[in-house]
Amino acid sequence: MKKTIGLFLASMMVISLTACGSSKNEGSNTAANGKVSIIITNGKGEIASQWEQAAKDFMAANPDITVEAVSGAVGETINLVDKLTASGKTVTMAMMSPDSITNKYKDFGIDLSAEKWNEETVYGVKDANGVIAGFPFSIEGFGLVYNKKVVEKAVGGDFDPFSINTRDKLKELLDKIQVSGVKYPVAYQTENWSVANHYSTQFINQAEDPNTIVDQLKAGTLDLASNDVWNGYYDTLDLLVSAQYNKYGERPLGKYYDDAHVSVGKGESALLFNGNWAYDSLQAVSGEEFGFLPVPVDNNPDNPLNNKIAAGPTNVLVINNAATVEQQEAAKKFLDWLVYDQKGQDFLVNQAQIISAFKNNSNKVTNPLGAAIAEAVQADKTLPFSSNFVKVEDWGSILAPDIQKYIAQKESRAELAKVIEAYYKGQN
Amino acid sequence: MISEKSFLKRLGSQLFFTGPTILLFAIAVLVPFVYGLYLTFTNMSSPLSPLEFAGLSNYRTAFADSRFWDSLILTVKFVVATVILINILGFVLAYLVTSGVKLQNFFRTSLFTPNLIGGLVLGYIWQFIFVQTLPSIGEKLGIEWLRLGWLGDEHLAFWAIVIVSIWQSAGYMMIIFVAGLVNVPKDVMEAATIDGANGWHKLRKVTLPLMVPSFVVTVFLTLKNAFMVYDINYSLTGGGPYDSTTMVSMQVVKKAFIENNYGVGQAEAFILFAIVALITGLQVYFSKKMEVAA
Repeated sequence: MKKTIGLFLASMMVISLTACGSSKNEGSNTAANGKVSIIITNGKGEIASQWEQAAKDFMAANPDITVEAVSGAVGETINLVDKLTASGKTVTMAMMSPDSITNKYKDFGIDLSAEKWNEETVYGVKDANGVIAGFPFSIEGFGLVYNKKVVEKAVGGDFDPFSINTRDKLKELLDKIQVSGVKYPVAYQTENWSVANHYSTQFINQAEDPNTIVDQLKAGTLDLASNDVWNGYYDTLDLLVSAQYNKYGERPLGKYYDDAHVSVGKGESALLFNGNWAYDSLQAVSGEEFGFLPVPVDNNPDNPLNNKIAAGPTNVLVINNAATVEQQEAAKKFLDWLVYDQKGQDFLVNQAQIISAFKNNSNKVTNPLGAAIAEAVQADKTLPFSSNFVKVEDWGSILAPDIQKYIAQKESRAELAKVIEAYYKGQN
Repeated sequence: MISEKSFLKRLGSQLFFTGPTILLFAIAVLVPFVYGLYLTFTNMSSPLSPLEFAGLSNYRTAFADSRFWDSLILTVKFVVATVILINILGFVLAYLVTSGVKLQNFFRTSLFTPNLIGGLVLGYIWQFIFVQTLPSIGEKLGIEWLRLGWLGDEHLAFWAIVIVSIWQSAGYMMIIFVAGLVNVPKDVMEAATIDGANGWHKLRKVTLPLMVPSFVVTVFLTLKNAFMVYDINYSLTGGGPYDSTTMVSMQVVKKAFIENNYGVGQAEAFILFAIVALITGLQVYFSKKMEVAA
């Protein structure tokens, strides 16, 4: 008995020692037999299996390229590249959020502005030097998600979401919904990323090019407290989080994401603020239909901000300038495959359910919120995706607590304006 | 016998037995630790960018970071609350399940079970309880303080983390206390009974002094766990509402990996390490002195 235990322990030791010694020769990704191997990372964990299948399909069409498709867990976009790089591998092409190619990874990508696919899209993302470095992988949008059945019951018939183009009309709608028997028309959970990265960045869309507002903030020339649009969005937010209309109005901020989406999904509430990705959480409950309302900022029905939905690229593919030229060419081939090959188009829209940024892709997503965004893109009723013009990590971590304090009425709007201005002055 | 061998031979045979462990320990702990210390003296905006030597500037930034100190103060409050409550509750539970109640083995197992569930899962389960279950109970029965979700109030959210931590750890500490309690010699207890000591006296004058070794272990574990709390904090409140429940580990993670300030985050982690090492070291040193022999 003792002998077997001893033998077992000894063998364990040997195994652990050999385990340390092996795993060499990994990550050597140069062409040995005329083949190129590339590593492509995917930050959208929810499409991990489709991503792998896409790599297989691509390899079948391009036998001289070996693709290693890596996916991160849901919610971790960027650390995947860091991890692989830290372990000595060269990621050939990485998926990242558009703001990271102007900030954290501003020296990562290569110039893609000469690529043919630029003819099919206006959503190519420029880096800090103003050249297109990001291939728009997905288009997403946000606005006020509403449950069609509940709203149609309240207004008594067909409902056009773009008819709600002033704050008063929104209030009127909320009142109507309340009259129809829904106690809380809004179930908005005011989570940090939602209320900061998405809701609170909308004001930068007041300029044709949102970057001008960001530049003014950095220069300290924009006074937020007296800015009508900035105030307007918080007036609307006050309405959305008020105890009169919001299910969580009495005590906002308490981890209500699931509850909010279940409430709107079931039709116990009518609307919340989120993006097309919310559909999974809503759909899990029932097969009801959903759509988007624009977020009204004032009472002028002709204000474009009141008539459009924020939508834009939320994930871009960037080719690493540290990869070899052969690898970069192979990665470019993969991008072309996504845009022009039927299988690539099918992967993007039908398999991965992503709204394509490319005009030549005629596939349609089945997700109704995604379809609503795609329609808005077609009808030219979109504003820039405002979060792409700020450092989302900073907004979600540094500014979000103050925005949430404002919602909880622990901080005044003037104080919030000062905090945001001070943050931007510190960015120079 | 060993002294007959030469130094090299002794070293060789020592390395034969301890070498693999030392190697693994070095790979998993020592090397990252030293490298981490080195990183605190450099600036690195991302792992892709080259390291620049930065001297002590990261430490200066860390010492000036008010959010770090706020989260540290909050963590100290958390430490005080959980260390006291977990140890008291663990001891009381251990006392009860060794006092000969019916089904005591069943109770031992079931009280230990929460510790087998990972902190993340536990956090999400309790999030559901705090957000949905308790408010609906409060609504139905008209209990005002349960009607609104606890996680939306900064004080209640803090106590929510404390409650879940207690629920997770008390059973584990109970097992350690049970081991200590059953090892209290019967003859000493008998002698105390013959001398006329009542139950309370026996507990205070005999059992507790003999239990000091158990307390050394449990207080050390609870101290360390409370200072390093991250998983329950992350999954239960996520640091909210408005950052009011961000414990110090979460602050370090935020600094390093969300705000991409690796050097400062790493420096804060080292300050935290120094504080925790000092406190737990003092605790073990002084409580060892309180140990008595039966």
